Parts: sequence; C-alpha cells; structure tokens
Amino acid sequence: MLELRHVTKRFSSIPAVDDVSFTARPGEVTGYLGPNGSGKSTTMKMITGLIEATLGHIFFEGKPIQDDLIAFKRRMGYVPEEPYLYNHLSAVEYLTMVAQLRDLPARQSSDCIEGMLQSLSLHDDRHASISGYSKGMRQKVLIAAALMHNPDLILLDEPFSGLDVGTALVLRSLIQELAARGKVVLFSSHELDTVERVCSHVVILHRGKVVADDSIERLRSLMELPTLEAIFSQLAVEQDTESMARQIADLIHA
Amino acid sequence: MHKSIEALVARLPLDFRVLYRQFLLRVIDLEALSIQADVVGFLGQFAGVLIMLSIIHAFRIYLFLGVETWPIEQYLIATMMLVAGLIVVISWDATFPDRRDAMVLSPLPVAPHTILFAKIAASCAVLGLSILALNVFSGLVCPLLLGAQHGTTLGRIQSFAAYWFTMAAASAFLYCSVLTAQGLTALLLPRRLFLRLSAILQLAAFGLFLGVYFVQGTIATPAATADPANQRLLAWSPSFWFFALFNQLNGSLPPQFSWLASRAWAGLGTVAVGATLALILCYVRTMKKTVEEPDLVPGAGGSHWAPNLGPPLQTALVLFSFRSLTRSRQHRVLLAFYFSVVFAIALSLLRTVLSAPAPILLSPDFYIPTLMMMSFAVFGLRSVFSLPISLTANWVLRTTQLCSSERYVAATRRTLLFLGVAPVWLVAALLSLSFRPFHHVVAHLALLALYGWILSELGLIGFHKVPFTCSYLPGKSNIQLVFWGFLVVLLVVVMSIAEFEQRALHDPILFVSMSSAFAAMASGLWAFNRHQAKSAVIYFEEVPDITIQTLGLQRD
Repeated sequence: MLELRHVTKRFSSIPAVDDVSFTARPGEVTGYLGPNGSGKSTTMKMITGLIEATLGHIFFEGKPIQDDLIAFKRRMGYVPEEPYLYNHLSAVEYLTMVAQLRDLPARQSSDCIEGMLQSLSLHDDRHASISGYSKGMRQKVLIAAALMHNPDLILLDEPFSGLDVGTALVLRSLIQELAARGKVVLFSSHELDTVERVCSHVVILHRGKVVADDSIERLRSLMELPTLEAIFSQLAVEQDTESMARQIADLIHA
Repeated sequence: MHKSIEALVARLPLDFRVLYRQFLLRVIDLEALSIQADVVGFLGQFAGVLIMLSIIHAFRIYLFLGVETWPIEQYLIATMMLVAGLIVVISWDATFPDRRDAMVLSPLPVAPHTILFAKIAASCAVLGLSILALNVFSGLVCPLLLGAQHGTTLGRIQSFAAYWFTMAAASAFLYCSVLTAQGLTALLLPRRLFLRLSAILQLAAFGLFLGVYFVQGTIATPAATADPANQRLLAWSPSFWFFALFNQLNGSLPPQFSWLASRAWAGLGTVAVGATLALILCYVRTMKKTVEEPDLVPGAGGSHWAPNLGPPLQTALVLFSFRSLTRSRQHRVLLAFYFSVVFAIALSLLRTVLSAPAPILLSPDFYIPTLMMMSFAVFGLRSVFSLPISLTANWVLRTTQLCSSERYVAATRRTLLFLGVAPVWLVAALLSLSFRPFHHVVAHLALLALYGWILSELGLIGFHKVPFTCSYLPGKSNIQLVFWGFLVVLLVVVMSIAEFEQRALHDPILFVSMSSAFAAMASGLWAFNRHQAKSAVIYFEEVPDITIQTLGLQRD
C-alpha cells in the first residue's frame, strides 16, 4: 500500500503540492487527476525520490520510503510524463543498461527485453537510435523499462501519451491485469474516459490540493453527476470553457 | 563608429537579425555547456586563450625575427590554419540546414536564402573573432618588423595588409574546403548515410588538421625550399602555399616559388566556388530531403554488442560511456582534440622507429612522449566526462540508483582505465618493440601503467558522479587558467619523471624505490578515493523547470 500523509512541496515558498494525503491500495488502480500545473507530476516525482517533499511523509507498505530509498526503488517502476531518454542509445541498449543498473540476471533480462520489444512492436527497430523514434515509440521504451523488473508499485504519469490505438488498448488492459495481480498502480492522465474505464478509485487535485478522493461510483452518486468528466469539470475547471473558446476566436480575428 | 555600425545593422532585415543571433549561439552547442554557464563568459575565456597565444607569438617574433624569418612566418600561418581548422570542426554542422531548422523554419515565411546568409554570417563571425584574437598582438608585431626590413611606411602598410589578408585567406580556405566536402556528401548520399559518414568525416578532419600540424616539418631557408626532396611536401601542404602567398603579397617571394602562391590562389578559388555551389544546392534540395527522410535507421541488420566488463553496474556504465563517446558529436570532438595530440605523438614516435636502424636505445626521447600520451589521454577523457549527454534523461540513473556510491565511483574508475589508460599503454607497448634493452622497456611499461593509474585516481578526486551526467567544463571553470596551468604543470612533471627514470633504469635500487613510490602513491590515492566515495552522495545535475521562457526579442 502506498500512502501519502500531509505531503507539501514548495518551490521558492510557492506551494506546488499542498498538504496532499491519499492512499493507493494493492489490487486497485488509483487515478490521479488534475489540470495542468495542479501538482500531479510533482507528487509523482516525490514518490520516486527524484525530489524531496518540503513537509509530510510517504509510506510504502507502512514504512517511510526515505528510510531505505534503495530498497524502495527496487520495487518501483516509473513512467515519467516526458519521454526523456538517452537518445544516442538504441532501445535494446537502453533497456539492457536499465536491467544492468537494476542488477537483474543477464539471461532473464535479455529474454524479458526481447519479449517486451516484440509485444510492443519495437522489435524491428530495436537496434535503431532512440533519437529517431517517434513519441509513441519512446513511450513504449519507457513502459518496458518501468515494468521489466516486475515492480510492486507502478507509477504511470501520462502513460498513453503518443501511443497508437492498438498499444493504448493493450496498455489499458495491462494496467488492469497488473492491478489484479496485486500491484499498487498510481495512474495520472488527462484522458478521463480511460481513467473512468481503468480506475476504481480517483484522487483529484486542484491548485496543489486534493479536492476529491473516493471511488468513481461514490463520487457519481454523491455529486449526482453522470460522468467523471462532469465531476472533474465541477471540481477542477474554473473557467467557462465555451466563453474562453469564443474569446480566443475573437482574439485571432481582431 | 559604434552608431554607424548600429545604423548599418538596423538596416538588415529583422528575420535575418533574429536568425543570426540564434545561429551564433548554436555554433557552440549550448547543450554541451553547464546549466550554470555564462555563454558570453565562455566565449570570452576561449578568446582569452587565443589572445594569450598571440602574446607568446609576438614575443617569439620580436626575439627571433631578425635571425630567421621564414620558420616563424610558416609557424604563424600553420597555427592560424590549425585554429581555424579546429573551429571549423567544432562548428561542423553549423552552416548546413539540420532537421531542427527544417522542421521549425520551413512552416514559417522565412526565405531559404535568409537562413543560409544568417548561418554563414554566424559561422564567419566566430571564425573572424578567432582570427582577430589569435593575431591581435602577433598581427601587429610581425608586419611592423617585416615592414621595417622594407624601410618605408608603405612597406609597413603592405606587410600589415599582406599578413591579415593571408590569415583570413588561409582560414577561409579551410572553412570552404570543409563546406565543399560536407556539401558534396550531403548531396550525393542519402541523408541517413550522410549523417553516419559526416561523423566520420568530422573526426578524420580533426585528425588530419592536428596530424599535419604536428608531423609536417618546417623548411627554413630558400635553399631548403628549392631542394627537390622537399618539393612533394611543398606541393601538397596548404600552409606552405599560404606562406608563399604572404611573401608574394609582401613583395618578398623569390620568383622560383611563385608557383606555390599560385596554388594558394587556385585552391582558394576552387574551394570558394565549391562551397558556394554546395551550399546553394543543399539549401535548395536538402531542406526538403531532411523533412522527407526520417533519421530513424531500420534495425534489421543491426546487432547488440554487450560484452561483460565486470559486475552489471560497471558493465552498464563503461558501455554507456563508450557509446556516449563514440556517438555524440560534442563528445567525439572534445575527445578527438586530446586524442589527436596522443595520435600525433604516437605518429612522430612511429616516424622515429621507422627511420632509425633497429634496435633503438631506450632514452627520454621515448619516455617523455609516452608519458605525455598517457597524460593527455587520461585528462582528456576525464574532462570529456564533464560534458553532459542529456541532463533531462538523468532521471533514469537516479531512479535505478540501487548500489552504494562507492560502486559508482569504481565504475567510473574502470571507465578511465579501460578507455584511457589501456589503449595508450597498448600503443606504447607496440611502439616499444623496436627499443632495447628489453628489460628497460618492460620496466618503463610497468612505470607507465602505474603512472596511468595515478592519473586516473587523481581524476577521480571529488568526482562523485556518473560520467556525462553533470557539467563542469566548459562554462563554469576558468579555461584560461586550466589550459595554461595544465600545460605548464604537465611539462614540468613529465620532464622530471623522465629524467629520474633515466637514472633509475640504470640503478636497480633507484628503480625499485621509484616504482614502489609510484605504487604507493597509486594505492594511497585509490584508498583515499574509496574512503571518500563511501560517504559521498552521487550527484546528478538536472535542468531546473522553467516557469517563464523568454524569447529575447526585446532588442528588435
């Protein structure tokens, strides 16, 4: 179980994440939603240990992750928001490097990499430099790198970004399958339809604060709204979207 | 003056000015600089190194010009050509349209010729500033003293004009030669093949410029120049063509050597026409091809080379370093600078080996070059480690940081030993086969290996980082101080070691003392670095999130 207790992150005294608390349980996919700049990726980075929280604590299976960050990292897989990779390496070189850094047995990791590349339709381009990959191909490399060590905690920050329809459908099913096998999955996305299909539990963030933390079913009945999109619009979208669109159209016709 | 320049600049089209500024900064690749680096400061330091060199040249001219004129003139022209060549190699792709230009600028209403002129203007500005910095003092002293031999003011003016024109022409010759070669390969080959070959051409050009500079001799007198044995060298070495051109313009060229000056004119004309045609055709044809042909090379014929180089972490980091060095343009260029010196020393040693009757007696003439090779290789590699490959991708090393920092430092040590010490030691061992007595050769190779180990450990002091994940040089440090300091200290250290070694090889007790001291120093430094690494935190530099991105257009 992943638990965040009163986690705050300030950049030059400006809070990016403000007193966030929630729990992500094994066996379920937790959706982490919010508009741009609401603090989703900052929270993800704090959980991975890439940045430190200003206040609060993060627990995994009841233990603060900072107590043994190395042991925690062994059990965590992370797909970041931006597909930043070492572009001078090929997919197979990159994945082999990650496997070696994770100290995975050579034979096992080699078979796993081969299988992943086949499944993600990257096998034909496995020796090509990542610099020539499309955004979707890079995303596939990130997904393979995050999963090949069989992590117990999976952090997915916009994992569908750039993926083709077929791979997106595979990934959607994969996320559900991994959760069914007892993994803790924290999944951040702007695609509310996908979140509604995949997640059983959502946390909605607005201006760094948690404004909703419940199952989608309960949120629907509590707020008497039919869809997650309607719930999200009510909780996290401030402006009148139609008048904003008109304003932009007027601006370019001025 | 300043106002009239400003007025002139203001009359240039706005799109040209905006592009010129962008391209000027991109001649030096910004990604290679430290995130805390001051680009203007860095360029200033680089100019400072050249100005310092100019002061040294000026003193040398003042002291020796009365005695011997020709070798100094040749040396100045050859050095100018070397510096111009290095700048052309460093800014290798700066004049041609790349994929980024094609993707960003093609949809905008900017004419291809504006992009072309802005790129040429940016490259020429950097080259022009380098010519100015390298000759700021020597370019005054040399023409004045040579002009004094004419005895008239007109003679001085003629010398001054001849000097500066020759330096500019020699630099333009190299710049246009490289443009012609690049343009032709870009036009003739498919883009993917061109990208691969361009990298090899860049390294070859680097090796060629440095190799020619260090290996080619000087021809000091008119008699030596007329010697039939030297005609081949004169005919094929552009630095001698431009040396003749300078003397022709200065009015001091003996008539029998005017064919050399003619070669300079012909060469300059040929490459100028070649470069112009290549550039025009590239901008007309290659911009479209760049967008149409993706950089992705299908991997059907590829293979995955993954040798086992020790524990998984060490294997991963040694291979990561090797691939970064061989595949990244900036890293290749910077390493090529140091390794070209190693290569040039090795070549001159090989020339000695081939020209002297075997066996050759081992002497400081062999110790000094091999020690210099080792120093340049290890310090070169260590300084390239400070050039980041992709700061934004460092997150993967951080999220997979599952071992103690001690093991990361050990992996960096292994990289230095595998990629720096071992190749130089092997080359030295091969070259030493012609030297005797054999036991002295073995003793020297043992000391050389220990020296390489000591240098590696010195390079690791305070380096609690993975290679290519953080930046220090260039951008933050004082290049001027580091460059001259390194040269002076290195020369003193190497000369002292060679002198001591010469005595030690003839005195077993002294040799045992010397090798024991080396071994003790290497082990001591190893233990120190290991101890420091235990409590160290591996540092990764990352680009801070930018809240507001300014476009810097306020001046327009």
